[in-house]
Amino acid sequence: MMLDRRELFSRALAAGLGASLPAEALAAGLAAAAQPQWALALGDVAADIAPRGLTRLHGRLPADLVGTLYRNGPALFRRGDTAVNHWFDGDGLVRAFACHDGGVQLQARFVDTPKRRIETAAGRIVQPGFATPARPGAQVGSADDTNAANTHVIAAGGRLLALWEAGSATAMDMATLATIGPVAFRPDLKGMPFLAHPKVEASGRIWNIGLSGKHAYVYRLSAGGALEAGQMIKLPAASYCHDFTMAARHLIIVLQPWLHEKASLPFSTGMVWRPEQGTRVLVIDKDDLTRQRLFELPALFFFHLGDGWEEADGTIHFDGAFDSSPLFAVEGAPALVEGRYPRSERPMLRLVSLHPDGRARLRDAGITAEFPRNPGGHDGPRPTFHVGGYQPGRPFARSIGRWDWQAGRGQAHDFGAHQIVEEFVPAGPWLIGTTINLKARATELHMMRADRLTDGPVASFRADVALPHSFHGSWLAA
Amino acid sequence: MTLNRLLTVALLALAPLAAAPAAAEGPATLTVTFTVTDAPTGQIMLSLYDNEAAHDRGGKPVAQAAVPVQQGQAVATSPGLAPGRYAIKAFHDIDGDGKMGMTPFGMPTEPFAFSNNAQAVGGPAPWSASNFAVDGPAAATSITIR
Repeated sequence: MMLDRRELFSRALAAGLGASLPAEALAAGLAAAAQPQWALALGDVAADIAPRGLTRLHGRLPADLVGTLYRNGPALFRRGDTAVNHWFDGDGLVRAFACHDGGVQLQARFVDTPKRRIETAAGRIVQPGFATPARPGAQVGSADDTNAANTHVIAAGGRLLALWEAGSATAMDMATLATIGPVAFRPDLKGMPFLAHPKVEASGRIWNIGLSGKHAYVYRLSAGGALEAGQMIKLPAASYCHDFTMAARHLIIVLQPWLHEKASLPFSTGMVWRPEQGTRVLVIDKDDLTRQRLFELPALFFFHLGDGWEEADGTIHFDGAFDSSPLFAVEGAPALVEGRYPRSERPMLRLVSLHPDGRARLRDAGITAEFPRNPGGHDGPRPTFHVGGYQPGRPFARSIGRWDWQAGRGQAHDFGAHQIVEEFVPAGPWLIGTTINLKARATELHMMRADRLTDGPVASFRADVALPHSFHGSWLAA
Repeated sequence: MTLNRLLTVALLALAPLAAAPAAAEGPATLTVTFTVTDAPTGQIMLSLYDNEAAHDRGGKPVAQAAVPVQQGQAVATSPGLAPGRYAIKAFHDIDGDGKMGMTPFGMPTEPFAFSNNAQAVGGPAPWSASNFAVDGPAAATSITIR
């Protein structure tokens, strides 16, 4: 294979120099040579990123796009001779891209969690996580001692909330990104699981759930992030739920057959895939959480769902990025930390329709998609913005797409094979998001017209640093 | 603190005297000093175990006590103990309701600790990490609850 020439050259060089090099240096050199370019997406950030300007590559920052894009994602995977065992177990780094006066300023700070403090002191990865085992020196008095706070960041009540899923939200200062600490929405809810994907009504009211086995705790928060009501509900299955969704009058919990069958650490070792059990969809009336309906679908695996909407006859629709099994979560994402890509991701955009007669139907868009985002509102269909262009041979997305279920068609912009495309979020008429440019070895910020993705970015900016792949974020207009 | 609770504390503190088995080498007295970090109020609730089976598998403690927190510290004294190995599970009952606060999912909301300041790893510290010797008339240990 032609593309192996550089690798062959590296090996020849290493072999030639081998006689005069210490064994460790040789091993390190080979390891570095063997790292694929995309490994930048799981690189380690040594320390907080002090504020700095981005370089404008082309275009102009739209005059009405003034505000800050906050993003969160794991950014420290290795300490000393240890590493986390899974992409999802790195320390959360919250990044702020402030857009104003035609320019962009970037700063980023790690969420100051108990996990990070314990591991900084130990100089090793010791805390258990989603798939990382506890190592000697681990301290786990509560779930929050394992909280990586690395999944999403939203704003509520004048502060940021760095979100994970199996423990508390962590409050941060919006201006300085300094960590304030874990949030207990009420004293007896201290340390409770709080999913990384709260759903926001047009009024600003926030709904979320936290899961423990066959129980979900439903949070209803004011727009300011204060608890209005909380209630426990029983679920028909102890499914893994990274996300749930919401329509105008209902909460929707999709119970995939990846089941939590035993309490063990790390968390993923207690999960079993039971495709024969199919997928159940629990629809809950927001006004009375005891009023519930259950729908059945074939076995599906997913992380992320789009917003739902309801028709006059009661039909509920929502889409999601569905795979056929949890193999990416179980085998693919752990290998990424080691620079390996043994299994292709094939998340497909599909629409779930729940009919009043009890039937549930699936429709395929026929495209790969992940990180679905909608512009808000649950009173009718909305376009789904997503990353896509997944291809065999390289992990992560390379395009940004928009899909309209009513029209049954979409549009996309391909950033190219040298770009890793992260989630883009709606910001009024714009979409804003980040990529990792593998040629420039730098993080980039792009703005696009939400209705004309095929035009490509209207403006692009480049940082002087490559930040690892982030998961989710929020645009806050100034 | 109510009079009723004061009496309970006194009775619990005395309980080991009656419960202690006859000691071959003469009884020992254990003094446990707790330091708390979350709030300077409330009380420490503690259970003292004298064997691994009871400690690790939900058996009965040889003694239980509640001692008030004053200026961030609390001291419990158990006289009349048979010399041997013991372990302690304790929590800081910050609101003084006599119970470990729990979330709706049954997870503790009040800080807890174990003798030897042994670390919890997804559950209470095991006897193997938290047991310590009690011998002689003036055995002492200290536990920080954070």
